[in-house]
Amino acid sequence: MLFFSFFKTLVDHEVTIELKNDLKITGILKSVDQFLNIKLDEIRVVEEGKYPHLSAVKNVFIRGSVVRYVHLPANAVDTALLEDATRREAANVAGKAR
Amino acid sequence: MSFFGFDPSSNPNSRSHPSTAPGFGAAPDHFAGLSLRPGNDDEDGIDFEDTYDGLGDGLDETDDALNDDTFGDGGAPVGKDFDFAGSTARVAEVLEEEHEIFERNRKPAHKPIIPTVGPTHKTTTTEHQHIPSLAPDMSLWAEPSVPAPQQNRQPQYSAPEHVQNDFPTQAPRAPPSKKFMSLEEVEAEILAQGRQQAHSAQQQLHHVPMPGMQPVQLPPHIPVTQPLGQFHHQGPAHTPSPGAHQQFATPPQEHQNFLMHQLPPHMQHMLQQNQNMLPQHLQAAVHERMLQQQLQEQIRMQPREPLQQQPLPQPQVQPPMARIAQEERAKLLEEESKRLKRNHKIAQLARYNGLMTPQDKNFIQRIQLQQLVSIGNTDDNTAEDFYYIVHSAIRARANPQQPLSQLAQTYLFRNGGRNNGRRDNHMQRMEQQVARAVAAAKAHPKASQLVLEGSLGKISFSNVKTPRPMLNIKRLDSDQKHLAHKSYANADRKTLLAIVETVYDVLLEVEVHERERSKIPPPNPNAPPSEAAQEWEAKRVELADRLYEEMRVLEPIDPASRTRHPFIAILSFGKMKRAIPRIFRHLNPEQRVTILTMIVVHLDVLDVVRHGVYPPGANQLPSAVREEVDMFANNVLPPLLSYVYEAPLSIVVGLLGLLLERVDVILISKTKIGIAFLTMFFSRAELLKQSGRSDEKELQDWQNVYNRFFDMLQGHWMDCFPPSGRFVEDQYVWQFLASMAVGANEIQQRELVGAVKDRVMENVQASKVLPPEIGVQKRENVNLFMRAMGLDVELLG
Repeated sequence: MLFFSFFKTLVDHEVTIELKNDLKITGILKSVDQFLNIKLDEIRVVEEGKYPHLSAVKNVFIRGSVVRYVHLPANAVDTALLEDATRREAANVAGKAR
Repeated sequence: MSFFGFDPSSNPNSRSHPSTAPGFGAAPDHFAGLSLRPGNDDEDGIDFEDTYDGLGDGLDETDDALNDDTFGDGGAPVGKDFDFAGSTARVAEVLEEEHEIFERNRKPAHKPIIPTVGPTHKTTTTEHQHIPSLAPDMSLWAEPSVPAPQQNRQPQYSAPEHVQNDFPTQAPRAPPSKKFMSLEEVEAEILAQGRQQAHSAQQQLHHVPMPGMQPVQLPPHIPVTQPLGQFHHQGPAHTPSPGAHQQFATPPQEHQNFLMHQLPPHMQHMLQQNQNMLPQHLQAAVHERMLQQQLQEQIRMQPREPLQQQPLPQPQVQPPMARIAQEERAKLLEEESKRLKRNHKIAQLARYNGLMTPQDKNFIQRIQLQQLVSIGNTDDNTAEDFYYIVHSAIRARANPQQPLSQLAQTYLFRNGGRNNGRRDNHMQRMEQQVARAVAAAKAHPKASQLVLEGSLGKISFSNVKTPRPMLNIKRLDSDQKHLAHKSYANADRKTLLAIVETVYDVLLEVEVHERERSKIPPPNPNAPPSEAAQEWEAKRVELADRLYEEMRVLEPIDPASRTRHPFIAILSFGKMKRAIPRIFRHLNPEQRVTILTMIVVHLDVLDVVRHGVYPPGANQLPSAVREEVDMFANNVLPPLLSYVYEAPLSIVVGLLGLLLERVDVILISKTKIGIAFLTMFFSRAELLKQSGRSDEKELQDWQNVYNRFFDMLQGHWMDCFPPSGRFVEDQYVWQFLASMAVGANEIQQRELVGAVKDRVMENVQASKVLPPEIGVQKRENVNLFMRAMGLDVELLG
């Protein structure tokens, strides 16, 4: 749930989603769920010339399984907290595995 | 008495299909089961536990709780109004009779038109020759090619409607009529219509039911003319057959009589009173229904052909008909345009109404509830959603003006919603269901893993929190213990990092515990602390002690050994340095002073001091070292500083004594961190001395320590400075020199000035050449030192 928890804090921030088909979409993150499906608003495709059919699209829903990378806004990420959250997540997993 | 076995006079409760129950064409009331039986929860089959796990398996075949939705109220006897073929058969004779009479009367006028019709018409006319048996004559409804049962039903419904109604219908197919009216028939009809038009038009204005108020799929609204209303079938499939329509266009007397049997008693009475009024009354009523239906059909089938293009059998009749219809429609549209628009919207929204049965919805609801339960399990929210919760809390603290929007929505909504007075029955039920679902989920926790005998890993089942199944490699517990009890004499990097991680784990535990303080009621200053508060405090102390222990501060110091003390070793890692300020908050003063002592004693082996000495010839430290130094200065120094600034003189003197004994003072005086420590102690001691509250003995001790220090650094003052350069940052050295100079006697001061005179002059010169901001800064730095001795840079000219 760490990623879910993390992405929830990025709601209303601009992110760039890189899909497994090399499509890169920049937009405002509107919502995310536990499958890391993503809803973007006010999107624009990074290489617009290559994907003209997407130039009219204003918002998208991206299935979590097709996401390769999410480019994060650095100033919206609390690195120290993320470290701690990662430790907690690891502790949770270890606790469950036991 | 009644035509379809419908008895309007009988007790409404014993009617076959109560008007309040949903009809066949009506949209199902999805909450029918809920709202009809508010007190009877367990019978309606949506009890969560019943089907909690293995949703499909749990379905009870014998459970007939929702039969009411499907069949209406179970208490009433089943009526016969669905038996269309039977009902038709009963009246087939009458219909045929009427048909024959009609045929005989109109034969001469009828004949000439026959040739203009297509070949199918022949079969129609030949069928008219014989009188068929009880079976309904398909040709009556002018749809000979279509199979019987479904078509049977349509005319059955539409026949009464069309008794006098010649209003052009908007049948989507509108096949050319096969049963033709003679010219006289049509003229008579038009005349009759013309007379009634004014009347019905008026009626329309007042009585057209508001379509806007009535979504298309709602059960037919029952107007004053209830029986007719019941015959009026509103489903989208309904397209009144034009053949039937014309068949009864001018009904013979028999038919009128026959029709009277269907009417409720009050209508019959009315009819008998005023036989002449019958057509108009009926027509008005039927017309009303037709208009309503027409509107709705227009909504549904907007792109279809307009009304006036409807093919009519007699072309010469069309213009007046079309004109009337058009005028009517224009008027209607004008009046209803707004409503139509809204209706259109509603219709579009309602297009998919009724696609799911209540059972389907229950099923989905259960799945959603299940998800809710697993997400909303508040117990491990902090564990599962740590980043989000803390991040939101930090942000909320950063600007308290901002409403708790996101966090509140996620975590407080459930509590906030409780106090909302406007919740209705469904919401209440929903909440009950959630509560029960949560209870059920807690009662039978799901096994999340499967360990196969002899396998190396476990198979995890996916659930909401871990959507993707993963393979967990079993880890031996002994690994951890082995790690914990290792000797630190030759601890390698990995072991040290593991120690840092354990420190962090405990630290996180402490912090979580700290956050739980808010759950305890605030302490009453007069009363002794509550049991919960005592428990909490005990736990806090225990955790803090564990944290302290994990830092290995108390590992014995072995001055002879060349290996670093474990605490100093782990302090060389950046993440340990960053943890220090957080750790310090949880430690008691005794533990803090121990840590401070530990660092002071090992000051010359601290990584930031060992690496912090400028190598000969180098103007700058390596960037990695600079980073570490900055991190130490920003994270470790402030908590130590804040401690020292409250420490008594005895501790300061003691620490300086330790420094002199155990540490290479010359070495540390060459580094930024070392000088920072020295500055810290000297300035604190000087403050305490000037405050005049210390006793003589302590002051004497302090003077001794000071003198020893001064002598030791004699000849090394210039080494304190970083390699000279215009932009070099040497403020900390001037601060140190100032703190030394304040406590120095006259001889010492002179020595000090003499030692650093070159540097002073250099800085003053540089400050004149450099841009104003940096120049002023440099001047100020030097002045700090000069003023400590009662001098000023200005004196130097």
